[in-house]
Amino acid sequence: MTLCSLALRPLTLRLLAPVCFALLLAGCGDPVADAPPSGNKKLRIAVIPKGTTHEFWKSVHHGAARAAKEFDVEIIWKGPVNENSREAQINIVQDFMNGGIDGICLAPISKDSLVRPVRQAKAAGIPTVIFDSGLDDPESIASYVATDNEKGGRLGGQCLAEAMGKKGNVILLRYNVGSESTQLREDGFLAALKDYPEIKVLSDNQYSGTTRDTSLDVSQRLLLSFRDQVNGVFVVAEPNGVGMLGALKGAQLDGKVKFVGFDPSPALIDAMTQDKMQGIVLQDPDTMGYLAVKTMVRHLRGEKVEKRISTGEYVATPANMNTPEIKKLLYPPQLEE
Amino acid sequence: MSEAATPNSAHTSGRRRLQAILTALGPLLALVVVLIAFGIADKYQRGDRAAFLSVNNIRNISEQTVVVAMAALGMTIIIIAGGIDLAAGTALALASTTLAWCLKNDYGVAVGLVAALGVGALTGLINGTLTSLLGVVPFIITLGTMTIYQGVAKLIANETTVQPAFAQVPEWLPNLTFSPVKPQWLIYPLLPNFSTSVWIVAAVAVLMAAMLKYTIFGRYIFAVGSNEATARLCGINVRLVKIGVYTLAGLFVGAAGILQFTRLTSGDPTGGVGLELKIIAAVVIGGGSLSGGRGSILGTIAGAAIMVVIASGCNILGISNSIQDIVIGTIIIAAVTLDQFRQRRLAS
Repeated sequence: MTLCSLALRPLTLRLLAPVCFALLLAGCGDPVADAPPSGNKKLRIAVIPKGTTHEFWKSVHHGAARAAKEFDVEIIWKGPVNENSREAQINIVQDFMNGGIDGICLAPISKDSLVRPVRQAKAAGIPTVIFDSGLDDPESIASYVATDNEKGGRLGGQCLAEAMGKKGNVILLRYNVGSESTQLREDGFLAALKDYPEIKVLSDNQYSGTTRDTSLDVSQRLLLSFRDQVNGVFVVAEPNGVGMLGALKGAQLDGKVKFVGFDPSPALIDAMTQDKMQGIVLQDPDTMGYLAVKTMVRHLRGEKVEKRISTGEYVATPANMNTPEIKKLLYPPQLEE
Repeated sequence: MSEAATPNSAHTSGRRRLQAILTALGPLLALVVVLIAFGIADKYQRGDRAAFLSVNNIRNISEQTVVVAMAALGMTIIIIAGGIDLAAGTALALASTTLAWCLKNDYGVAVGLVAALGVGALTGLINGTLTSLLGVVPFIITLGTMTIYQGVAKLIANETTVQPAFAQVPEWLPNLTFSPVKPQWLIYPLLPNFSTSVWIVAAVAVLMAAMLKYTIFGRYIFAVGSNEATARLCGINVRLVKIGVYTLAGLFVGAAGILQFTRLTSGDPTGGVGLELKIIAAVVIGGGSLSGGRGSILGTIAGAAIMVVIASGCNILGISNSIQDIVIGTIIIAAVTLDQFRQRRLAS
């Protein structure tokens, strides 16, 4: 019939094309496709970073994959499509909550906005291990695996104080209002300086903002105000490290003012080889990914896990930067997607 | 047999009607097909652990659709009237930031909601007035206001995220967009127990569809979008209609901002960047024509849901973000191309 064929031809085409397409995609998805479809007890764990393009997360991925291999579980690595979009990260948690997953490892973009989805997951019987940054609801999570940022800040403070000969004036350049991990680093830094009575803090109330651009502006302003007094500078994150380095170079203070940062980048490592930086506090993203997955596996197997697990903090200095342990942290292994 | 050769005129008109119905339901049909396709892929990949077509995931998808769907209702009438609004995303974030700011500074939730809706409507009023009075195309006007609204939002938020304390956000507000754990069904197995926001969007959508079909304003919108000069010659005050359309759409953007806040429980002044493209894509996938005069409420809702289904499906299947971006782009182009083929056939 004309009527039927006219209506049906495009219809069947439309019906079939997406099905084939989706099946194709199902094949593209992670190694699940070759696993036996039923009766398999292999645990499936979703690992959700804050983003997927930053180097830090690629190292976390490497560690998570290492743990997956060691404990014979399957991980699904999925970050928000738009870096740092809360909405997208909430959606991912919710999708996995309904999606045949045994547990979730999550690095929350916001300590507040992700509370509800994590509670929802718990109500659905899916536990969450939080890694990297805290969540404002310790009751709903199995464990929190992260750098001890307060200790990292203290290590940075000690390193800077020693480099300055335990006396002089310092500037603390803060990161961003409301960012929990960096605030702990700032607190730790100031706490460490209490042991050095001859060190005076010139400025500790300036925030760099989240980009290298804004960091450079704020750093330049700070150095302009304190150029004749400052002996040491501490910055609490990678972008403001790069901004401050630029400002120091511009003011021709690089190498004269002692400078300690947090998290490496090629520019900062380069500065350290030229003795323009006296230290970089390091985290261990590879171990973080590894421990997040390992902790989830242990929790799912009914073992008792610690509520707070530290992944280690280290300081690289011009003296130790070529040792294998520190080199591994300055250039952490990465997993490409 | 070719179309023209059909001798029976009753037969022809019957076929026309069937085609018209299929056209109207096209996006909805596409939604069902995409749902089933991912359901099959999920089943194929994970066997008896498949959960894509479970009632909980359907409810989850509906929750994730409401923000874009609400804003897209407004965008639908703008596009029918032959306009475009690139500022919808940042205006949405501005409304949501306003609500967060009101809560944080203890003005209370009632003031916050009214302020968010008011700010939304105001952004629309500005878009509409500038477009009408300056005679500059809306693409350029809203490209400008897009940045302006983002700037205002950052100003209100003091360039950071506005985070009201837990006690300052009444419990019912975030619960609007979180599906109740139990019961899962209202009427088993026909009607899942959706979150309140889904019902709100559904109710508003019905009102909008009725407005477009049965009121004079609704017919004016189509007239202006189909042929502005003719509409003017017919005595329609085109400027006034345009200002009305943008303002009404702004109100929807404000409502969408409220819904975004209920999901994030914080106001992120940059949280709307890129959202305008999703909103426009929802309308276009739903059969709206960027040259004006065509678009449907049902299609828009289906269009918004299709994008969420694809994103959700890609998440569950473990497809990487790079592939997911490519898939969504491909489907937008495919959907619109298919729709144009259908329209051309219908016209001939």
